[in-house]
Amino acid sequence: MKTLYILLICLFLVSVTNAQERFLTKNGMISFFSKTPIEDIKAENNQVLSIVDVSNGQMAIAILMKSFMFEKALMQEHFNENYVESDKYPKATFKGDVLDFDKIVGSETATTIKGNLTIHGVTNETTIEAVIKKTVDLLEITGDFFINLSDFDVKIPSIVQNKISQKIKVSFRFQHKPYKK
Amino acid sequence: MKVKRIISVLLVISFLSIFIGYKIYNKPHINVAEEAADIALTASMLLIDFSKDETKANAKYLDKIIAVKGVVTNIAEEGEKRAITLQTSDDFGSVICYLAKDESMNIAAVKKGQAIVLKGICTGFLMDVILVKCVIINSK
Repeated sequence: MKTLYILLICLFLVSVTNAQERFLTKNGMISFFSKTPIEDIKAENNQVLSIVDVSNGQMAIAILMKSFMFEKALMQEHFNENYVESDKYPKATFKGDVLDFDKIVGSETATTIKGNLTIHGVTNETTIEAVIKKTVDLLEITGDFFINLSDFDVKIPSIVQNKISQKIKVSFRFQHKPYKK
Repeated sequence: MKVKRIISVLLVISFLSIFIGYKIYNKPHINVAEEAADIALTASMLLIDFSKDETKANAKYLDKIIAVKGVVTNIAEEGEKRAITLQTSDDFGSVICYLAKDESMNIAAVKKGQAIVLKGICTGFLMDVILVKCVIINSK
């Protein structure tokens, strides 16, 4: 009888670990927006990799800086060469947790994501408000937040200072699907 | 008389500099379709280079126009955005080619399993090597 129980427990554990625990997207969207009276600057990145472990709400995001597409080629050049130094720091990353992930069910739920955001080689602890939608085969996370350029040691030359906002609005939309190999 | 001349010369110079400044400010993006590829190779070779030494591969491939040859494993459509995934010798990684806006119409002829050559700008490596603004060169 005892062995039967052990066997059953083993089977249960196997089935749990086999369940699709990871949700992933390779074409998540992140855009940012800088607003000043002189010029609005916008860039969009549609190749963001985001992985969520639905067993514990852990989240990992990787972003290629060169995948940010600007309306003007010159802005893109300045962004990559002077401001975020993409050759030196080709990626931005985020590692964190969706708080109270197990309480999220079904339709849109407001939630908080807390973790470490690394841009331009500088890591800051960040808290982000987001909306999560969870179904069997889709985990959608959307939201926006502001970052300060000075927090990430991004220096803007004084000559263009009034064209680029110190506070940048970042928006994101990730539609994670269950990960299958 | 002399003053007038100086003023007119100054005017011409300032007009020219405004014009040049405007031109630089509005510099167009690289047109991948019109440019020749800097590097041509297979999807497997590209992925191997990145998985072996990412820093070296970044220096070699980033911002370059790369022509890549491979077998189509997936075609993703989402709104106006289209992406073609190319198979590599690696089970986990692949090369994902995000198509340029104007190119998206030509995707109807592309089928899973066929060999294809695409040309695009490399932006880096996450789980897969990523090319953006891709155009289809050869889909025979």
